[in-house]
Amino acid sequence: MVGVALSRWTMSYFATAVLALIAAEGLMLAGIGYPHTAIAAPESLLLVHLVAIGWLSLLMCGALFQFVPVLVNRPLDSNTLPLPTLILLVAGLAALLLGFAQLGGTIQTPFGFFPAAAILLGAGFVLVLWNLGRTLWAERPLPLPARFVVVGLCSLAATVFLGIIFALVLGGVATKPHLLDVTALGLPIHVIAGLGGWLTFTAFGVSYRLLAMFMLAPELEGRTTRGALYVGTAALTVAIVGGMAAICTSTNVIWPIGAAGGLGLLALALYGGDIQHLYRARKRRVIELNSRMAGIALANLAVTVALGIGLLFAGRFNDHVGVVVFLVAFAWLTGFGLAKLYKIVAFLTWLECYGPVLGKTATPRVQDLVTEPRAQKWFALYFVAVWIAAISLLLTTPSLFRLGVGAMLLATIGIGVQLMRTRRLANVAPALRLPKGTRPPHLLHSSVQPS
Amino acid sequence: MTPEASEAFAGEIKEALRLVIDPELGYNIVDLGLVYEVNVEDGGVVHVAMTTTTRGCPATGYLKDGARDAAWSVPSVEFVDIALTYDPPWTPDMMTPDAKRHLGIM
Repeated sequence: MVGVALSRWTMSYFATAVLALIAAEGLMLAGIGYPHTAIAAPESLLLVHLVAIGWLSLLMCGALFQFVPVLVNRPLDSNTLPLPTLILLVAGLAALLLGFAQLGGTIQTPFGFFPAAAILLGAGFVLVLWNLGRTLWAERPLPLPARFVVVGLCSLAATVFLGIIFALVLGGVATKPHLLDVTALGLPIHVIAGLGGWLTFTAFGVSYRLLAMFMLAPELEGRTTRGALYVGTAALTVAIVGGMAAICTSTNVIWPIGAAGGLGLLALALYGGDIQHLYRARKRRVIELNSRMAGIALANLAVTVALGIGLLFAGRFNDHVGVVVFLVAFAWLTGFGLAKLYKIVAFLTWLECYGPVLGKTATPRVQDLVTEPRAQKWFALYFVAVWIAAISLLLTTPSLFRLGVGAMLLATIGIGVQLMRTRRLANVAPALRLPKGTRPPHLLHSSVQPS
Repeated sequence: MTPEASEAFAGEIKEALRLVIDPELGYNIVDLGLVYEVNVEDGGVVHVAMTTTTRGCPATGYLKDGARDAAWSVPSVEFVDIALTYDPPWTPDMMTPDAKRHLGIM
C-alpha cells in the first residue's frame, strides 16, 4: 500500500531483544558476571555484550527500521534486508558469548569463536548501517532528530570497528603491536562510543520526535537543540577520534576522554533543558504510560550523571564505574527502551490489524490495545528494583543485589506478558477486536493485510 | 447544484469521514481538524484536502484510503479525490472543543 511504511521484521527484533534482556537478568540472578566477578572478567563481558548487543542494540535496530522512515518521510531503503541482518547479528552474538565462555574456561574447544563473531557481527552491523544510511542519505538535508541518529550510527561504526579489533586480538588472529595496544587501552573508547554515542545519542534523537509526537508538544529545532547536537557530536568526536589518536601516539587516553566528558556534560545539560521544555509545553496534560515512564528513565539519566560527577570529585569513580555503567544500561537505556517499546508494539499492531479497514468500519484506538494500570505496576517494580540493585552495588551487598535483579527479572517478564497481550489483541473489547476484513497479527513479523 | 445543496452534501461527506479515527489520538479526523476542506462538484465528484498530525506518520496511507472509502460510502458520490497537504501544518489548536476536551487539552 502506497504511503505505508510498516517495518516487516521489527517485531522479531523486539522479541529477540526482550528474550536477551530476560536471559541477562537471569544470569545476574544466578550470580554470573559482575558484581560476583570482576568487571573485566570474561563472565562479566559475556553479560555486558548480551545486554548491549542482544537487548539494547537489537531493540534500537528494530525501532530504527520503523522509525527512520518516519523521521525522514521516506520508506526504508530495503524492507527485506532486516531479516538476514537479524540472523547475522544473533549468530554473531552467539559466537561472541561462546568466545567469552571459551576465554573464561567454561567451554573447551579449539574453534575460533571470536573471529567468527567479528565476521558475523561486522557483517550484520554493516547491513544495518547500509540500510539506514541509504535511507537517510536520500533525504538530505535532514531534520534535527535524524542528525542525532546519523551521529549515533557513526558511533555504532566506531564501536563495531573497535569490537572487531578486540575480537581478532582475543581470538589470536591479530598480533600486530598497535592492535594489541588498541585492545589494551581502547576499552573506554569502545564503551563511550557504544553506550554514549550509538545507544544514548540515538535515543536522544528518537526522544525529540517521539515525545513531541505522543505528548502533542512543539517540535524543537532551536538553538539549544542544535547546541545539544553540535556539542554532543564534538564530545563523541574528541572521545573516539582523539582517544584513538592518543593510543596511536602513546599519549594518555585520559586527556581526550576528560575533554570529551566536559563537552558531554554540556550537551546533556542542553538536552535536559530541551526535554524539560517538551514536557512543560505539551498540549496533552494527561500523558500516556509510555511518556510517564520515559520521563522516569530520563530523570534516571540525570541522577546517573550527578552520581558519576559526585564519584569523580570524591575520587571513587574507578571503584564504582560498574554502578555507573549498570545505571546507564538499566535505569536509563532499558527504562526508556521498555517505555517506548510498550507504545511502539501497540502502534504497529494497530497499523497492521486495523489500518486496512479504517473508514470501512469502526476501529479501536491504539490505546484500546493496552491496559495501562496493569503495565504500570510492572514498570514501577522495574524502576524500584533497578535502584535497589544499584544501591546494593554501591554498598557492596551481593544478597540485596540479587533481590533487586530478581525483581527486575520479574518486572521484565511482566512487561513482556503485557507486550504479548497487546500483540494478541487480548486487551481489545471483543466486539471491536476483529471487525470484518481483519485477521490477528502474527507474533513475530508484520504484514500489510489486504484492504 | 445549488450552494445550499452543495453545503448539505459536503456536510454528509464530513459526517461519513467521522468514521475515520486518528489511531494515536483516538478521535475522528474531522473534529481533530485534520480535514481541511471538502468540496463537491456536479456529478457527485468530491475533493477532500486533509493532513496528518505529523509528517511521515506510518498511518498516512491508511488515513488517506480510509477517508476515500468513507467518502465513497455516501450515496450519490461518483468520484473521490483525496489530497494530502501539510500547508498549513496541523496544530492541536485546530481541534474542536469536544476533541480538545476528550484529549484533556487546555
